[in-house]
Amino acid sequence: MNTQSRPRTEPLLEIRNLTIRYREGDRHVTAVRDVSFSLKPDGALAIVGESGSGKSSVAGAILDFLGPASEITGTILFEGQNLAELTPVQRRNILGRRIGAVFQDPFTALNPALRVGRQIAEPMVQHLGLTLADALGRAEAALREMGIDRTAEVARAYPHQLSGGMKQRALIAAALACEPPLLILDEPTTALDVTVEAQILRLLSRLRADKGIALLFISHNLGVVRRLCDDVAVMYASQLVEFGNVRHVLEQPAHPYSKGLLASRPPLAATSRNSRLAAIDGQMPISAEPDAGCVFAPRCPFREPSCSAGPQPLTIIPGGRTVRCWKAGEVGPWPRQQVTAAAPPTFHRGDALVNATRLSKTFDASRGLTDWRLSVTGGRPQVYRRPSRVPAVNDVSFSISPGEVLGLVGESGCGKSTLGRLLLQLLRQSGGSVEFDGADLARLPAQALSPFRKQAQIVFQNVGSSLNPRLSVGEALDRPLALFSLAKPRDRTRRVEALLDMVRLPAAYRTRFPHQLSGGERQRVAIARALATEPRFIVCDEPVSALDVSVQATIVNLLADLRDAFGLSYLFISHDLAVVAQLSDRVAVMYRGRICEIGTAAEVLAPPHHPYTQMLLTSAADDEPVTGPAVSDIGHGARTGCVFAARCPHKLGTVCDTTPPPLRTPSTTHAIACHLDTLPDTAVPPVRADPYPQRAAI
Amino acid sequence: MALVVGGALVVVLIVVAALAQWIAPYPYDQMHIRDRFLPPSLHYLAGTDEYGRDVFSRLLFGSQLSLALGMTATLISMGIGVPLGLLAGYRRGATDEVIMRTLDVMMAFPPIMLVLLILAVTPPSLMKTAIAIGVLAVAPIARVTRSVTLDLMSGEFIEAARARGERLRYLLVRELLPNVWPVLMVEASLRVVFAVLLGAVLSFLGFGVQPPAADWGLMISNGRAFVDTAPWISLAPGIAMSITVIGISLVGDGLREVLDPKLGSRR
Repeated sequence: MNTQSRPRTEPLLEIRNLTIRYREGDRHVTAVRDVSFSLKPDGALAIVGESGSGKSSVAGAILDFLGPASEITGTILFEGQNLAELTPVQRRNILGRRIGAVFQDPFTALNPALRVGRQIAEPMVQHLGLTLADALGRAEAALREMGIDRTAEVARAYPHQLSGGMKQRALIAAALACEPPLLILDEPTTALDVTVEAQILRLLSRLRADKGIALLFISHNLGVVRRLCDDVAVMYASQLVEFGNVRHVLEQPAHPYSKGLLASRPPLAATSRNSRLAAIDGQMPISAEPDAGCVFAPRCPFREPSCSAGPQPLTIIPGGRTVRCWKAGEVGPWPRQQVTAAAPPTFHRGDALVNATRLSKTFDASRGLTDWRLSVTGGRPQVYRRPSRVPAVNDVSFSISPGEVLGLVGESGCGKSTLGRLLLQLLRQSGGSVEFDGADLARLPAQALSPFRKQAQIVFQNVGSSLNPRLSVGEALDRPLALFSLAKPRDRTRRVEALLDMVRLPAAYRTRFPHQLSGGERQRVAIARALATEPRFIVCDEPVSALDVSVQATIVNLLADLRDAFGLSYLFISHDLAVVAQLSDRVAVMYRGRICEIGTAAEVLAPPHHPYTQMLLTSAADDEPVTGPAVSDIGHGARTGCVFAARCPHKLGTVCDTTPPPLRTPSTTHAIACHLDTLPDTAVPPVRADPYPQRAAI
Repeated sequence: MALVVGGALVVVLIVVAALAQWIAPYPYDQMHIRDRFLPPSLHYLAGTDEYGRDVFSRLLFGSQLSLALGMTATLISMGIGVPLGLLAGYRRGATDEVIMRTLDVMMAFPPIMLVLLILAVTPPSLMKTAIAIGVLAVAPIARVTRSVTLDLMSGEFIEAARARGERLRYLLVRELLPNVWPVLMVEASLRVVFAVLLGAVLSFLGFGVQPPAADWGLMISNGRAFVDTAPWISLAPGIAMSITVIGISLVGDGLREVLDPKLGSRR
């Protein structure tokens, strides 16, 4: 191909006036409207926006994934060729060969029935005409390049044997197998833990430097974008609203939407009970008409009557940025909410509302008729005894005072959701006890839990399944009222409307069904349902993790307002330390079933740290990340010592593996379980000699 | 489209069955000894059989029996299978094992043999045929219900209901059943078809409805002896049976098309 010798100053990918419309029944929805940008051969461009902004449709148009219900106008030039003019066969030859793609969910992107190596080799067989044996050999080399040590083992493994981070590495290896000049990444780290995300980002930036690959990176996460990309395009309601250098846009956003998006990210710092996150009111319109004026105007705090006079053109402002706002230069900072609440309450450890003592939960591993299992991996049948599991929650004690919020932070699989369900007795503990308001719940028979059920409620993560799709909002909210006889039948409608008002939804939503609501609205209904029983304690299990950043801010603010209005206690579970710090009075950090650090939010965020807290903080910060092996890459080795020993950059030696760590108490409210005499007092852990010490989970 | 055509056929069928007494030209068992083996004519729309009975009238009355059998059998299998499936899928563990393994044992018997056994040792009746066929279909109905329930159990709305301390009955009937219902409707329409066909087979073999009742299977069986001289005696009930089966199957297909997209968007 002579295209490879093209001068490097010409753009590799150029998109001009791209418009994408979808037919939905008899109406058209515009997903992308008149978007233009170009990408240099060694450039890295990020497209940032919330769900529904059209960012993934841009990638879909380049990759020809949109299907027959879409209508694409405008030009997509790749290496000087207009992709629309190519035949399907030519187009297919470019995919995988010249353009690699990695998608959001590594857990479903690999075929579970094929070995990982085979899936990396496949594009090379397809596009480079290699024999399968040669391609498999190259696949192992590709895995090594991804920073994987035991390449032969990983290549022979099936996807379910690998951790999420490993799968994403394998997918990147497959996308890069034919050494394409362009890699398109659609939310590649969204489904991963922060520490694993940091590793993948580091890998991508190294690949970019070593191989000179151009990246088109699609994400909703501004922090991630800053670490990897040169330029950023901010999309809102199918339009490009701001385009420019990453540092300029993120440090001094010019478009009001960019400002709002940045301001609604919670800072990684403990905050007072009176502070609230900046939020963008309202929600993004679907298929907005720009002829009627600026599409962001209805949600913009800086709007003026003239904003709605006509379409907003993209204009160039000083510094080489383009912005779709006529006021771009004159807009001040995004307004912050502040509430004037009473003086922060003081909590006395003696009168705890919830008291967990030495709580443990081991899931019954011997499910089925016998412990013996038959495996045919590797072609040979093998009979083995199923191993008993590591406890999901292991000897955890803490208490929550009335009106107090305890944050619980940890990566996926650390047992934090299990702990929340134990407190609510949705799961029965294997050991230890839970006391609520002085009563030991384990001693109560299931039937006698009713008064407790009224006082302790839960809000879930998955907004798609937390409401019954066949029940209207009114029915869902009415049920708890009827169950606990909280209102007379004729007053119930009024009470339901009052509940909707509490979560700031209009009373007319009573008749709606869940599929007619947006994600944020569904979460509000779920919160209203939890509030309906007039509880004193609510377990919030990742309530904002599935939501866009601006919606996330409004929900966090709502939870804070409700906490203050009703004196509620929360167990606020999240993988995101910044969100937890925003809402919590105290924070507990959990790793593999144990709490390794607990203290007030300020104490946990400031040194001295537990080494794991330190690693979480570093991964969450926007700086160059430093990493250890990923959580699930570790076998279930040390049972007696510190659970974090295998990943710890400060590990002392065998003492960490064999002896349970002592509890260090820097202050009366702060406890750290660690062998180190001098705990880390900076946010950055030391770098290991081997920068990529990952191991397979097999 | 399938729903419209199938629905129209089924509605016509039900109307005909309900009004058979009034629209049939003759009683189903009235013999016209001088008019035996007459081919279809304006007088006898579908001809007459070996006793000179009007085949068309017998067809109309036969539709009552077929539909009654199909629906009763399906109601019986749903009535037993759906609660079992919901319970097995919700409770899991030992309850699940006991219910599903028992149903497996039932499924291990060849269906026709099982029904024949029941009907052969006791005097035959329509209700007994319906019960026998209905019990046979409990296992597939319970399996479908259980698999949909298992899928729904991952939904957090179930956990929210448990966090309110809801009773088992509310969980099964109000939270789970409305979500299983669309899938069950499709399954039920198929079960009606199977029941109608199986009922006809039993009558044909002489174990179902007894003469002189006008059952389609029985009519086909009786007409078999005269198929070379008077084919209409067997052909007419055969065609009626085909139309019924096609109509109900189309309704099932139509329901699948209408209800499936909703199932997809639920997730």
